[in-house]
Amino acid sequence: MIFVQILVNGLVLGSLYACIAAGFSLVWGVLNVINLMHGSFIVLGAYLALGLYLSIGLAPWWSLAVAAVLFFGIGYLIQRFLINRVIAAPVLLSLTLTFGLDLIIQNAMLYFFKADYRSLKLDPALGSLAFGSVVVPVDRLIAMIFALLLTLALYIVLRKSRVGRAIVAVRVDQGAARLLGVNIPSIYAIAFGIGTAMAASAGTLLALTFPIAPVASYAFLGKAFVVCVLGGLGSVPGAVLGGLLLGLVETFGAYALGPEFAVMLSFGLLILFLVVRPQGILGRWGFE
Amino acid sequence: MTFAFRDFRSVGWSAAAAVLVAGTMFGTAPAQAQAKDVIKFGAPLPLTGALSPEALKAKQGFEIWMEMVNKAGGIKVGDRKMKVEIAFVDYQSNTPKAVQAAEGLITQEKVDFLFSPHGSGAAKAASNVSEKYKVPTVAATASSTQVFDQKPRYLFGTYTPNETLLAPLFPIAKRDLPSLKKVAIYTRNDLFPLALSQAVERTAKKNGLDIVFNEKYAITALDHSSALSQLKAAAPDWIFVFGYTNDNLMIRKQMIDQRLEAPLITMLTGPSYPEFVEAAGVAGSENITGASWWDAAVRYTSEDVFGSTEGYIKAFKDKFGIVPDYGHASYTVAAVALQLAIEKAGTTDREKVRDALASLDAKTFFGPIKFNEIGQANSYDPPIFQLRDGKTVVLYPEATKQGDLRLGVK
Amino acid sequence: MSKYIILGVVLVGLAAAPLTGDTYLMRMATLACMYAVMAASWNLIGGLTGYPSFGTAAFFGLGAYTSGILATLDVALPISIAVAGVVAFVVAAIIGFILLRLKGHYFAIATLACVELLREIANSATDLTGGGMGLNIPRNADLGIFAEASLFFFAMWGLLALTALVCLMVERSKIGFALACIRQAEGAAEMIGVNSTLYKTLAFALSGVFVAMAGGVYASWVHYIEPGDVFDILLTIKPVVMALIGGVGSTVGAIVGAIVYIAAEEVIWRNYLDFSSGIIGLTVVGLVLFLPHGLGSLHLRLRGKAVTP
Repeated sequence: MIFVQILVNGLVLGSLYACIAAGFSLVWGVLNVINLMHGSFIVLGAYLALGLYLSIGLAPWWSLAVAAVLFFGIGYLIQRFLINRVIAAPVLLSLTLTFGLDLIIQNAMLYFFKADYRSLKLDPALGSLAFGSVVVPVDRLIAMIFALLLTLALYIVLRKSRVGRAIVAVRVDQGAARLLGVNIPSIYAIAFGIGTAMAASAGTLLALTFPIAPVASYAFLGKAFVVCVLGGLGSVPGAVLGGLLLGLVETFGAYALGPEFAVMLSFGLLILFLVVRPQGILGRWGFE
Repeated sequence: MTFAFRDFRSVGWSAAAAVLVAGTMFGTAPAQAQAKDVIKFGAPLPLTGALSPEALKAKQGFEIWMEMVNKAGGIKVGDRKMKVEIAFVDYQSNTPKAVQAAEGLITQEKVDFLFSPHGSGAAKAASNVSEKYKVPTVAATASSTQVFDQKPRYLFGTYTPNETLLAPLFPIAKRDLPSLKKVAIYTRNDLFPLALSQAVERTAKKNGLDIVFNEKYAITALDHSSALSQLKAAAPDWIFVFGYTNDNLMIRKQMIDQRLEAPLITMLTGPSYPEFVEAAGVAGSENITGASWWDAAVRYTSEDVFGSTEGYIKAFKDKFGIVPDYGHASYTVAAVALQLAIEKAGTTDREKVRDALASLDAKTFFGPIKFNEIGQANSYDPPIFQLRDGKTVVLYPEATKQGDLRLGVK
Repeated sequence: MSKYIILGVVLVGLAAAPLTGDTYLMRMATLACMYAVMAASWNLIGGLTGYPSFGTAAFFGLGAYTSGILATLDVALPISIAVAGVVAFVVAAIIGFILLRLKGHYFAIATLACVELLREIANSATDLTGGGMGLNIPRNADLGIFAEASLFFFAMWGLLALTALVCLMVERSKIGFALACIRQAEGAAEMIGVNSTLYKTLAFALSGVFVAMAGGVYASWVHYIEPGDVFDILLTIKPVVMALIGGVGSTVGAIVGAIVYIAAEEVIWRNYLDFSSGIIGLTVVGLVLFLPHGLGSLHLRLRGKAVTP
């Protein structure tokens, strides 16, 4: 039945979206920084997966670990030495800073990787699974599972580890956290590093599903925005819910109104939420 | 956060910055030195940005022509030969900048003739400049009739109109698949793919076929699962997908994901490029039909510097190590058309060359080139082909046919 | 007083462009005027009021299409541009009324989403806008090259003069004072009786008017527009960077910033093809990290002095 197929499409797509947005949401919620480089980090993760697969045959789910570690470091350094300088300034400055940095990353990607679209094709191909008349592609299924695992891991880290709890403390009440001895710049850098690591990890998984090119980063960034607003900032379950909601809205919307309206729908929903419930489904009223 | 210009020193600094920048801008204006026996051509290309793969092909297409022409001494103008120079400018895949680049080439670089930027939209935008300055311009990749609908005098396109691409496939399909009835069309919401889809819509209706699905997808769309699920439910006999290589690849992959099968699947413009087979794989691209304005399988003898299609392919392979695809060839033939017009006119006078272009009837490695009254070529049959085993098999025209249509795409 | 001198110098300097007879230079100058209008307009809402709007492209596209569609119906240019301005004022006021309750990032994203939404609407409303195929605006074939270039240059220049006038008037007036209060402490401003909703909506609406009119001039200048061209994110971001260059909060700063940016971009485009966007990115990063108060604060920074807003 087509309804079930579309439902499945929406849920699977939604978990991909959740994966894309989780790191973005964390950075925005904790540092109050909108990281416009997020999409580019996803694409860089995808390139890493492609490169590792082509050179040493490493499958994307292993490249994920490499991407996570490498990009945690990169993110940490970028925040510690660049973004931290404007963290207390009006949001315009951090927005513009990450925009400028993204321009540089985009130019570098275009220069080194060229603009053509590449695909990561596994040999043998993953194919798809059929449940009755409903078909689910295996690569999306894997990405969905890993996405949920990653977000679960993040959730556990935030709840259970010292660093994680410090991050949450900073998000909830920075002043109190500082009084309790939390090193704010360090926490910021760690949170940003986690965000970047998650972006690159998402990228390694998405490399199987979507074509890879520098310009693809904007599409991912756009989705991340919408998911964050829908789900609530800084909230990992929020990213999951927001992602699923967006996935379902897009797939059912495309079915009901036509595919050309899918993008319009997601932005319309964004504006609606911003006006009616800016904190999203699960978030608390965040910073400005 | 207000900082008003209260302080004279701040005035001085800002003014100094502005003057410095403006000064360097003029200081780096290109030298106007123009050797007298050189013909200068302007080529605005999307060397950076989303369209840069196309620009690379364009550049190679132009360079092979320039090399062959200059090796033969240059373009024959009257009783002497003039060498060729091409000024490349990057318009960053941005249409307004393409217009700016076109004007800059004419007024600053002082080119004699111009090539259009890539694609129908940018060609149309830039044609306003060439019409204003009355510079003969050849568009290598402008196939949409809309580009010419204001009847430009100085613009000529070497592509035949979009309608001609797929129309010949209909009789073949009807003959080989007598049960052909239901058609599905899925197209990118962009000038060229839309023009293609409208042409196919008309032809399908004329052939008495039912269009059971006809939708557009946004340019930035990532996920086509809903549309494809719907498409699958409509169980069409023939699926058309219009867009660019990356769209075609993504849609093809998602089709396979959803186990969408049909007797006939035609895609434009992905299958026309080797990149499509590389990325989709032999199995993924098997039996997909496509069309383009040229394929390395066609054979023509010609009066241009290459002598024949084989001559062109050989020269290109010798220089670049790969067999040219229609992306490269399109730009080469645009240059060839201009060259032949200049030689026919016997002069580099723009008006006379313009008239020579309008009345051109030449044999090129690409096919015979002749322009209709609004400046579009209408003199050759674009080849229709099918991908089999990772290679292209030409189905039409009869003269270069390599095989028959095979049904069934998994 | 010095800012009026600078403005005068800039306007006169720009007006000298047609004297050179170089149509390419005039094109650059027209572009500079256009961006200056956009930067100064952004400054009203982003700089003076402190609400970082990313909606400039939305108004630009709205104006381009309004004026373009009217032009295809044979409406004269001045009228179609004026109508574009009025339409933008009304639309901006409505959007502003809804969105200005958001602050900071949320406001920025909401306005950005407006750009995306309007672009997709333009893509879909094919009967009205030509959709993905674009809109053709008829060319006046009687005008010679120089005459046409001059026409559009002076149209844009005149628009810049008008924008500068209005923005400076706002800066100096009670409205400007109210906006400054809102920017610094909106809650406190409300308590002393400033009707912040009214003033910020007014600022937002004004920020849309001239941008839309610039879009209208642009459409007729280029003769062909596509949703992706006029609802381009870059059209939103560049004016912000330009205002940053000149010093956020200053109309004259935004105008000077626009000219500096356009000139620099041209130089970089001409000479460093492969790295142009990277260089611009580096410049933006440098600006934000070291000169967030604009070029005008350079001399203070070099001496290690604090920059007082």
